Amino acid sequence: MPSSASPLRIFCLEDNPLIIFQVEAMIEDLGHLFAGSAISFTDLVKRQDLDRIDGVLVDIDLADGRTGPNAAFWLSRQGIPSIFVTGQEAIAAEYSHVVLATIGKPVSEIELAEKLELFRHTNRNGGGTL
Amino acid sequence: MAVNDSHLDWVLVIAPYRRDAEHLETLLAQNGVAVRRAEGLEQLMALLAQTPGVLVTTQEALDPEVQEAIGRHLVEQPEWSEMPILILLDRMVPPTRVQAELSAVWPRSRQLYYQRPVTMLELLSGVQSSLLARLRQRDVRDHIERESELRRELNHRVKNILSSISSIFQMTRRRAVSLDEFADDFAGRLAALANVHSAVFQANGDAAQFSHIVELTFSPYRAKGADRISFKGPEILLSAEAATTLALCFHELATNALKYGALLRPEGRISLKWSVSQDGNLDLEWLERGGPPVSEPKRSGYGTRYIRSALYNLFGTPPTILFHPQGLCCTQIGPLARVSPKDL
Repeated sequence: MPSSASPLRIFCLEDNPLIIFQVEAMIEDLGHLFAGSAISFTDLVKRQDLDRIDGVLVDIDLADGRTGPNAAFWLSRQGIPSIFVTGQEAIAAEYSHVVLATIGKPVSEIELAEKLELFRHTNRNGGGTL
Repeated sequence: MAVNDSHLDWVLVIAPYRRDAEHLETLLAQNGVAVRRAEGLEQLMALLAQTPGVLVTTQEALDPEVQEAIGRHLVEQPEWSEMPILILLDRMVPPTRVQAELSAVWPRSRQLYYQRPVTMLELLSGVQSSLLARLRQRDVRDHIERESELRRELNHRVKNILSSISSIFQMTRRRAVSLDEFADDFAGRLAALANVHSAVFQANGDAAQFSHIVELTFSPYRAKGADRISFKGPEILLSAEAATTLALCFHELATNALKYGALLRPEGRISLKWSVSQDGNLDLEWLERGGPPVSEPKRSGYGTRYIRSALYNLFGTPPTILFHPQGLCCTQIGPLARVSPKDL
């Protein structure tokens, strides 16, 4: 069910290639644009193309450790909002103030569709606090 | 671990008569046992809070307040702990009465009673066996901690594997034209995931040999047609995650070759080569020859999409997939460090 509004550009920070693969397909099915992916916070900060992104889906545990919360905070400082996508709901709750929402794994398309819309209404200049 | 912990253990002495206390302190100190002395209730409580390994007390020290303070400390002990307590009884007191009384107010303690006069050797051996008992308790504690850490790790891994399977299921379903095709593709992908899991587990849990992963993926195809698949490259150790991703990519390439490529004809050949350059890049090449003429599919399927996405994420650079008429060619160059086990 593609969204009728303009497509969002979504980036994915996740270390499981199969999940990236699925999330990429889901994002495109929903009529949004998949803007790329990275498997670690280290990889993310090297990216030069983040300024055109509407939002990032962030896992808690990444290839360089439990760096998801820090990555979400770093993104919020750049004015880029995040949503946690994780099986670690308890840890996500501890850091809920740095993200717009949390999506549990496995990801359902209905929940993804609904929560991606949160990126649309976010003030890009508002930085979070940690 | 146990050796370091033994330095942490010290003996708390409670004896209201200075001479007794000094005597005990000297005896233990001379035998290499760390001792601290509590004078008064406040100091006793402060020292108990620092968790002594063993408690040595004379009977006359045990007024109701002291008994209660020790009792509280025992109740608040962590689960693994059962503090050894040596009690020096007066000559004239019947030990059974004191034992009955203290057993009731001091739960979860290992009580040793000595009727005075007690020889230095007797007391020392009692303290030493108590310290040893304490050490064993700490081993149990370490064991419990390791176990709960393993359980957390296991939970995390199980969740991760379930997410992987869920993704494979959803993605296989998207492109399936018939239930039979879906069932075959899903079962094949699940088997590839299971095989690589076994290979990584059998290796040492965190790493696998590149050649082993390749052999594993190709063994069902090689059985059917002699040596139609050849592979060559140096021994490289892969992290569990990299081994899994590469095994799934090779599985997609091999099934694709069976459906549309080189494995469709008896004369078809596949060669897989890998090498490591001097600047630390891993160079991979999958090349098919002798199959039916190949053309770029109008719509890329699961295999092509998965390989592009997974190899890009694994190496940080995209693979090159070329649909040459004479056969498919897939190449990838990227830093070896990204696929190596992290601890090495």
